[in-house]
Amino acid sequence: MTGSAKGRGDTRRTADDGVGAPAGPGGALSVAPGTAPAPSGLPPLGVGLGWRPEIAGFVAELPGLRFTEVIAESVHHDHPAPDLLALRDRGAAVVPHGVRLSLGGAEPVAAERVAHLAACAELLRAPLVSEHIAFVRAGGIEAGHLLPVPRTRAALRVLTENVRRTQAELPVPLAVEPIAALFDWPDDEYEEGDFLTELLERTGALLLLDVANVYANARNRGRDPLELLDRLPLDRIAYCHVAGGVQEDGLYHDTHTAPVPPEVIDLIAELSSRRRPPGFLLERDGRYPPAGELRAELDAIAAASGHPPIT
Amino acid sequence: MTGPRDPRPPGGEPIDAGLAAAQEALVRAMAAGGPLPEGFDAGAVGAAARSILSKRAGDVARAWPELARSYGTGWTRTFAGWAAGRPTRGSIRDAWDFARAHRDELSPGAVRELAFTEARWSYDGRSDPRRRRFAVRRVPGGVLVQVLGRIRVFGPAASG
Repeated sequence: MTGSAKGRGDTRRTADDGVGAPAGPGGALSVAPGTAPAPSGLPPLGVGLGWRPEIAGFVAELPGLRFTEVIAESVHHDHPAPDLLALRDRGAAVVPHGVRLSLGGAEPVAAERVAHLAACAELLRAPLVSEHIAFVRAGGIEAGHLLPVPRTRAALRVLTENVRRTQAELPVPLAVEPIAALFDWPDDEYEEGDFLTELLERTGALLLLDVANVYANARNRGRDPLELLDRLPLDRIAYCHVAGGVQEDGLYHDTHTAPVPPEVIDLIAELSSRRRPPGFLLERDGRYPPAGELRAELDAIAAASGHPPIT
Repeated sequence: MTGPRDPRPPGGEPIDAGLAAAQEALVRAMAAGGPLPEGFDAGAVGAAARSILSKRAGDVARAWPELARSYGTGWTRTFAGWAAGRPTRGSIRDAWDFARAHRDELSPGAVRELAFTEARWSYDGRSDPRRRRFAVRRVPGGVLVQVLGRIRVFGPAASG
């Protein structure tokens, strides 16, 4: 714990020196200086925290919160959580984030799942929705989680078709998120950066870049995470995810149940110094820490990215 | 939550039959006890499969907390041992199937949790649970009565 707290302090200084995010007089900056315009006219989002029922009270009380995300499959369209509607009504961007659409599945996306995403976007007046570059079922068997697609021409064609089918039904832009994968397919034909760039070009989709996934994939493969950042179209980023994970079985697992490691905070600063993304959203999915720790994580993300703090 | 309902797999022909077969073989290997397709790193795929089982155990613990509490710190290990080779049909059916398979081991709290759920929903173990209009069940400490979704427990140790 001491180590990671220290790491964050260091990162904050680095961010202040390198990126420069002076608080304006009165500290009422709505957009961090130097933030690139959001793609496709999306609003600037700033720092946000994923809405989960367990921390709904904490999210609601964050004074500067203008951005949150909700797991689309958890939204009851007819009985939405009142807390979520209250956030919407106070002007926060609430982004529905799908986890079970299976955009990378070789079967066409299910119409009722796409319709649910679209209905969530309408209900929450969302500026965009997001899903994963992954598949979650095949041949009627549920995998139980997001699985990687092979980086092949065939998978690119499948993804392109499924993304387009989804976009055709959505009232707002779609951002797609590369996942953290513990293994690769044996028949990859593309490097990850080229595969993603090609998919975004073919579909016009935006990128939801999970900084913790970039870190996890690089760490588990003994590669430098900056290599991938330098090959991605950073101007297509709608927002970023940030989370913490655990080391187990000799691998780093992006579990969202642990504090954000200092290396991920450093990566936020590196990314923001290249081209600051419009938003960073902290994902926490269990083992919820005391409010003070969560606030410190949000502050560290704000400091590293140069976005205004929301706590 | 999406509740116990779990839509059928999407209909229609696969966009790419070769990729569909390859994806199915991988999912079978990871979730249904099938052989690992050639060329994959068995250690890494195995680690991913174990991590999915842990996540499923966590999801079940959130859905049915008393069930997980019956096993204390051994919950994830016990659930993962049972769930390996059984693809998920959602955390509610994971929880329900596990609870029914381990009735004799459950704590009174977990028995009660199972009884409350079975009083509200009927589930044949094969298709999605359906809501019940009425049920009477014996539970630890009394008798439970459910009418149109409202439950009361009658008995010496009843607490609602």
